[in-house]
Amino acid sequence: MKIISCIKPVPDPASRLIINESKTWIKDNDLTFVASEADNYALEEALRLKEKHQGDVAILSMGGDEAARVLRSGLAMGADRAIHLLDPKFKGADEFAAAETLAKAIEKDGGADLVLAGVQSDDLGTGMTGVMLAEFLGYAHATVVIGVEADPAAKTLKVKRELEGGINETVELPFPAVLTIQFGINQPRYASLKGIMAAKKKELKAWSAADLGLSDNLVGKPGAMYEVKEVFVPERKSRVEIITGTAEEAAAKLVEKLRKEAKVI
Amino acid sequence: MIFVITEHRDNKLKSITSEALVFAQRVGQDFGQPVTAVVLGANVSGLADELKTKKIDRVIVAEHPDLAEYSPDRYVEALKTILGNEKPFLVIVGHTTQGMDFAPRLSVSLRRPLIAGCVEYEKQGDRLILTRQVFNAKMNMKTGVRGESPYFATASPGAFQADELQSGGNAEIVSVAVQFSGPVRRKLVERVEAPRGMVDLSAAPIIVAGGRGLKEKDNFKIVFELAEALGASVGASRPVVDSEWLPREYQVGSSGQTVSPKLYFAVGISGAIQHLVGMQTSRCIVAINKDVEAPIFKVAHYGIVDDLFKVVPALTKIFKDLKVS
Ligand SMILES: Cc1cc2nc3c(=O)[nH]c(=O)nc-3n(C[C@H](O)[C@H](O)[C@H](O)COP(=O)(O)OP(=O)(O)OC[C@H]3O[C@@H](n4cnc5c(N)ncnc54)[C@H](O)[C@@H]3O)c2cc1C
Ligand SMILES: Cc1cc2nc3c(=O)[nH]c(=O)nc-3n(C[C@H](O)[C@H](O)[C@H](O)COP(=O)(O)OP(=O)(O)OC[C@H]3O[C@@H](n4cnc5c(N)ncnc54)[C@H](O)[C@@H]3O)c2cc1C
Repeated sequence: MKIISCIKPVPDPASRLIINESKTWIKDNDLTFVASEADNYALEEALRLKEKHQGDVAILSMGGDEAARVLRSGLAMGADRAIHLLDPKFKGADEFAAAETLAKAIEKDGGADLVLAGVQSDDLGTGMTGVMLAEFLGYAHATVVIGVEADPAAKTLKVKRELEGGINETVELPFPAVLTIQFGINQPRYASLKGIMAAKKKELKAWSAADLGLSDNLVGKPGAMYEVKEVFVPERKSRVEIITGTAEEAAAKLVEKLRKEAKVI
Repeated sequence: MIFVITEHRDNKLKSITSEALVFAQRVGQDFGQPVTAVVLGANVSGLADELKTKKIDRVIVAEHPDLAEYSPDRYVEALKTILGNEKPFLVIVGHTTQGMDFAPRLSVSLRRPLIAGCVEYEKQGDRLILTRQVFNAKMNMKTGVRGESPYFATASPGAFQADELQSGGNAEIVSVAVQFSGPVRRKLVERVEAPRGMVDLSAAPIIVAGGRGLKEKDNFKIVFELAEALGASVGASRPVVDSEWLPREYQVGSSGQTVSPKLYFAVGISGAIQHLVGMQTSRCIVAINKDVEAPIFKVAHYGIVDDLFKVVPALTKIFKDLKVS
C-alpha cells in the first residue's frame, strides 16, 4: 500500500497569537511551529496500516522552514520519506490553492492508494483541505474518520466515521481514497532515539511550483479564491460577569452569586 | 438567487437548515435576491411542504432512489445539475459533518470560492463580505470572495438564530428530475449509535467539566474533588478523552453528550464550537480560564480569569465547608 500523509505546520498551541499590522494574518515570524495535532493521528494511522499491510508511507507538507522541521519529526516517528513543497510563491494560499498544490505534488509522486489528512487544522481550521484534495485528485473520500480497515488485495477500505449526536457510520470505499482523520483515532507514538537517528538518512525532497508544473496564477495568493479583508478579535456580545480578586476572594464571591443571584445551588 | 441546501434525516429537517435559511433571508433582503431551498432525497415531499410555509420564494425538490441516503458523489452530481440551470449568487450549506463532506468538492469542481464556518456577513457596496471564525474561534476573519458568482458558504452552527426564521411565504415547489452517470464510490454499510457507557450526563443537575487546561491526567483529581464537594457529575472536553485521561463517555459536545444542567462549570476549556453546542443551553455556566479572550466567556454567565489550579481547590474548600455547616 502506498500512503501519503499530509502535515500542516501550525503555531505551537501554547503560543500567544498576535494579529499583524495589516490585520490580514497573525505575526508568525517569532512563533514555534509544530505539526497540527490531527496530522499526528493521521501519520500514526498510516504507520499502523503499513505495519499491517507493508508498503510505503510518505509525508507531505507545504510551508517554509517550519514545514521542513515538522517533516523531520514525522520521519523520526517512522515515515519512510518526505516531500516538502517549498516556494515563496506558495505563501498566501487559501484552502483551495493549498489543496491544488498538494494534489499536484501527489500526482507528481505517482499518486497513492491512500491519502490521509487531518480533519481540521489547529490554526485556520476550516476542515476543507482533505475533501478539496480528493476532488482535485478525482479520488473517493471520507471525512471525520475514527477507524480504518484496509484490504489491499481487493483495493477497498472499510471506514468508520463519526457523525454528530453520538452516531457513527461505517462506509466502504475503493482505493484510491482521501481520508480526513479525526482526533483520538489512536494514540500517536513518540519518536524514539533510534527513529531520530534513522530520520537523518531518510529522503526529504523539496519541490517548487515550477517542479509541479503549476503556473503562478494557480499558487499562493494569486491562486486563492478569496482575500482576507481583516482578521480581528470579535467583540463578545456576552452576558458574562467577570469576578475579580485573588483566587480565594473570587471563589467566595462566585459561590455567593451562585446561591443568592443565580440560585442554582 | 440565494440557495440553501437543506439537511435532513429520518424525514425531519435539521435545525441547521433553519439557521442557514435565516442567513439566506437576511442576505436576500440586503441584496434584493430571492431565496430557494433545495431538498435532495427520496420521498421528501413532506419536507417541501414544510419549507413552503417559510418566507422564501421557491423550493426545489429533487427526488431519486439514489438520494435516499446521503452520498457525496450523488449530492455533488445532483447539485451541479440543479445549480447549472440557474444563476446562483450565494449557495449556503450547513457547517456540519454532512455539509463539510460535499461542499468542498462542489467548490473545487466548479472552481468557485467556498468560505467555511461563516458567522456573519456585510454588504460593502454591492460586494458580499463573509465573516468566518478562525484560530479556534478566538478570532474572526472577514473575507472577500473573488471572481464571478456562485459563491459557497457554510453556516456555523449557532451563528444564526433558528427562531428568527420568517414564515408566511407561499413558495412555489418545483420538482427537478436528476439523472446520474457517475459511480457511487462510497457506500453506507451501517449507521449506529456510539456505545453510551455508564456515564449519562443528560440528567445531571450539576456538571463540573475539565479540559486540556488541566495539563495532565493526574491533575484531573481536582475536578473530581470539586464535583464531589458539590454532589455533581464530571464531564470533559474532547482532548481529555483523546489523550485517554478519561473514557469517551465523559465527553461533552457535538461528538459527545449534549447536556443542559442547571449549573455547568467549564474548567480549563477554551469553548470551541464543538464543545459549546453540547452545553450552551445550560441554565448557569461558570468559566474558569486564565485567558480572558477564550471563547467560553461568550456563553458563560460568570467567569473567573485566573489559574484554575488556584481557583478550583479554593471552590472545593468553600463547598466542603458549606456542607459541614
Ligand atoms: C489569504 C490567505 C492567506 C494565508 N496566508 C498564510 C500565511 O501567510 N502563512 C500560513 O502559514 N498560512 C496562511 N494561510 C493558510 C493556508 O495557506 C491555508 O489556508 C491552509 O493550508 C489550509 O487551510 P486550513 O488550515 O483551514 O486547513 P484544514 O482544511 O483545516 O486542514 C486539514 C488538513 O489538511 C492538511 N493540510 C492543510 N494545509 C496543509 C499544508 N500546508 N501542508 C500539508 N498539509 C496541509 C493537513 O493534513 C490538515 O490537518 C493563508 C490563508 C489565506 C486564506
Ligand atoms: C469533528 C469534530 C468534533 C469535535 N467534537 C468535540 C466534542 O464533542 N467535544 C469537545 O469538547 N470538543 C470537540 N472537538 C474538539 C474541539 O474543536 C476543541 O479542539 C476542543 O473542544 C478543545 O478542548 P479544550 O477546550 O479542553 O482545549 P483547548 O482548546 O486547548 O483549551 C484549553 C484551555 O485551558 C486554558 N488553560 C490552560 N491552562 C490553564 C490554567 N492553568 N488555568 C486556567 N485555564 C487554563 C487555556 O487558556 C485554554 O482556553 C471536535 C473537533 C472536531 C474537528
